[in-house]
Amino acid sequence: MATLERSAPPPAGPGLVPAAPTGRRSAGQSARLVLRAVVHRLVAAAVVVLGAATLAFLGLALLPGDPVARLLGPVTTASPAVRAQIRHDYLFDRPVAVQYLHYLDSLVHLRMGESYQLQQPVSALLADALGPTAQLAGAALALALVGALVVAVATAGRRRGWRAAATVVELVAVSTPSFWLGIVLLTIFSFHFRIFPVAGADSVSSLVLPAITLALPVGGVLSQVLREGLETALAEPFVITARARGLRESAVRMRHAVRHAALPLVTLTGWLTGTLLGGAVPVETVFGRPGVGALVLDAVLSRDMPVVMAVVVFSALLFVVLSTLVDLVYLAVDPRLRTVAVAV
Amino acid sequence: MRGVRTRLWVAVAAAVASLLFAGCGGSGSTASSGKPAAGGSATYAIDTAPTCFDLHVNAQDVTAEIGRNVVDSLVSAAPDGTFHPWLASSWQITPDLRSFTFHLRTGVTFSDGTPFDAAAVKANFDRIANPATKSRYAASLLGPYTGTQVVDARTVTVRFSRAFAPFLPAASTAYLGFYSPKTLAANADKLCGGGPVMVGTGPFTFERYTKNQSIVLRRNPAYRWPADGSRHVGPAYLDTVTFRILPENSVRVGALQSRQADIARALPPVNVSAVRADRRLSVVRANQPGEVYSIYLNTTRAPFDDVRVRRAVQLGVDIDADVRTVYFGQYDRAWSPLSPTSPGYDSALVNTWRFDPAAAGRLLDQAGWTGRDAQGFRTKGGKRLTLVWPLPPREIIREQRDVLGQAFQADLKKIGIEVTRPGLDLGEYATRGAAGEFQMSDLAWTRFDPDILRLFFNSASRPPSGQNASFLHDADVDAWTLSGAATTDQARRAQFYRQVQQRVVTQAAVVPVYVETTLLGVNRRVHDLGIDPNGWTSFHDVWVTGG
Repeated sequence: MATLERSAPPPAGPGLVPAAPTGRRSAGQSARLVLRAVVHRLVAAAVVVLGAATLAFLGLALLPGDPVARLLGPVTTASPAVRAQIRHDYLFDRPVAVQYLHYLDSLVHLRMGESYQLQQPVSALLADALGPTAQLAGAALALALVGALVVAVATAGRRRGWRAAATVVELVAVSTPSFWLGIVLLTIFSFHFRIFPVAGADSVSSLVLPAITLALPVGGVLSQVLREGLETALAEPFVITARARGLRESAVRMRHAVRHAALPLVTLTGWLTGTLLGGAVPVETVFGRPGVGALVLDAVLSRDMPVVMAVVVFSALLFVVLSTLVDLVYLAVDPRLRTVAVAV
Repeated sequence: MRGVRTRLWVAVAAAVASLLFAGCGGSGSTASSGKPAAGGSATYAIDTAPTCFDLHVNAQDVTAEIGRNVVDSLVSAAPDGTFHPWLASSWQITPDLRSFTFHLRTGVTFSDGTPFDAAAVKANFDRIANPATKSRYAASLLGPYTGTQVVDARTVTVRFSRAFAPFLPAASTAYLGFYSPKTLAANADKLCGGGPVMVGTGPFTFERYTKNQSIVLRRNPAYRWPADGSRHVGPAYLDTVTFRILPENSVRVGALQSRQADIARALPPVNVSAVRADRRLSVVRANQPGEVYSIYLNTTRAPFDDVRVRRAVQLGVDIDADVRTVYFGQYDRAWSPLSPTSPGYDSALVNTWRFDPAAAGRLLDQAGWTGRDAQGFRTKGGKRLTLVWPLPPREIIREQRDVLGQAFQADLKKIGIEVTRPGLDLGEYATRGAAGEFQMSDLAWTRFDPDILRLFFNSASRPPSGQNASFLHDADVDAWTLSGAATTDQARRAQFYRQVQQRVVTQAAVVPVYVETTLLGVNRRVHDLGIDPNGWTSFHDVWVTGG
């Protein structure tokens, strides 16, 4: 997919001295360039999704052993007639190439098929799982952002002790397995103090502990990145200008430096999506929550291939959409990029 | 894979107690002398969610554990192997055991108002037998089914192509329970998803399923047809039963200890003493029936084509010590492939094949494995004595069986046998196992009826048709397991099955390891929680105190 080439930044930061675009193009030229960029982006997205779908299909198709035996598991008394029925219904009796074409055909028509184990349409399963996961991921992301912002603004460029303490906390947050963290939080706040319910997704209070569990590692990374950016920004000449205008330190940090330091965070969105989706697997298991993580874990464990492939394709789509959004956000935040972007 | 349950509480309470709790070190039942009160709810923390709720399709234990409360069966079984009226008030079996005629109880309705009648029986059995249903277990319980004939509204005849005594035990399981014909016609493809479409005649209705979170059952107020001998006849006492899905052991135990769950299933043996120490909790322990957890020795694959080598392995593993260590004394070691709680168990096998490494070594010497290589393993003609025992795929390993396997590996190393445990994907594990490529494999299978021995040791059950992973082909065993399936005479059946158990143990086709055990943590506010001979909980009689 297209990535943004960032030219060397002009000496002054954005927001203070608007960068003057050099050599304006005519309206027609610009429209054509935008169109070209959009087509380019769409083709790239299709390639990514097709690639992910193909890899998922091949990975599963090339597993050794009989797919029917894998689907049934060891504890079954399925008769040869039932096995034959499964083989026929799920096309296991056809060549892999035919299976692949059939799979692509359903993909193009947005048919995700029926789950082998649950015998329900995969699209319905995925739709049901998305809500709780979006809630969890959204809450975790909000918590992580607020936490990171507070810690980074408070500690960037400050005394060594505070800074060192924050770094240690961040490191611990990043490297604690969320599986373990979830159990510890449950033991303290649910089993001992009984403030929060042990499990489920039926109330706001049941969202608190899972969201904290998922937010901590994300917040740790964000906080590190944000402080780094803040410290760079605080050394920039525009900060001196701002201070010279008599702004208070908090205003300098919140109003000017943070904006500047936030740019690298946007770049991290792809990584964030992955972490939130992947992190949801252990968190949803420990807290007994419904969601995409629990769905895909069950699907992998019960060899439910249509569900596994649907989640892979869905994740690829999500990445493509998000990275496109990120690029658009860049354009909005950083005017310097506008002329460069369309020329990609 | 689960068989039968009973509600014959009054009649068999003593028998159940002696079977379930004998030698359990003071575990308690939750039977209570108080007066049951209607109302309230109970929360049951379970360790797995069913992949599919359709009893006719899925084989998982938990499917039947939940479904049992929603559907009823034709007959119910008692721990002694006898059968009692439930939805059928009486029945006749032809002497050739190929035709079973049931006279159905009157006044039974499904919770959607449809009457339960002969047509409903036919619709359900025909659906199970239809390959398009893709039944992974229930269809095999119907065996050589040829069809159901509706004689009149209250009478059905179920027919088989050959003598099929295991049909009565099968008919008592939840897997052969009945859905409303109306829901079968409209929602057959949605039953796997659970929820209100799962319409039965049982004491509870299936209110809702939230994936990976909870299952809520609500009392069926019209219910008044429990199996004969049930503790009470009317509707269930509880308003609702909520199954909470908590796969993490420590979370399930924590939920029980913090009173957020009233009952916790699959209590890890390591937590039993802590739960017992809590005055508000009790531990209920019950041996499961069926095929115990065993290691099957492939009698056709060298060096196991020599009975002396198989026997050496049987005597060379220190089952007593290893099982006690890994399971904190909570699981009983096994002496027979059949569980002590299955009818026909042969108690004469107890203590007949104790751990004896010296005898095992002598057998190996006699079999010609006299050499030793640099690492101390035995050799014959320059070839090392190596056995392949694949590790089941991680997702299906339960109860720390991989750890137990390591202990056995160490035991066998001491007598000069190398055991390798390659990790395989499930498809490869199943395919190569069915081809007989491995010397050893392990499995357990819960089912009340001793006909389970046919699935594991009859030559017609060699993989992939059945579970005869020993690839045993013994004319006597074939005859005995078929004869056991061709008579309903309890004493004669027991005689056939005792012979099977003795033969497969003395032939060392199998190393029985431990008896699968149901361990429940239960809050003392829960009363009259019944564990049936299958280790399943039944909620029809359960009542709660204190809100």
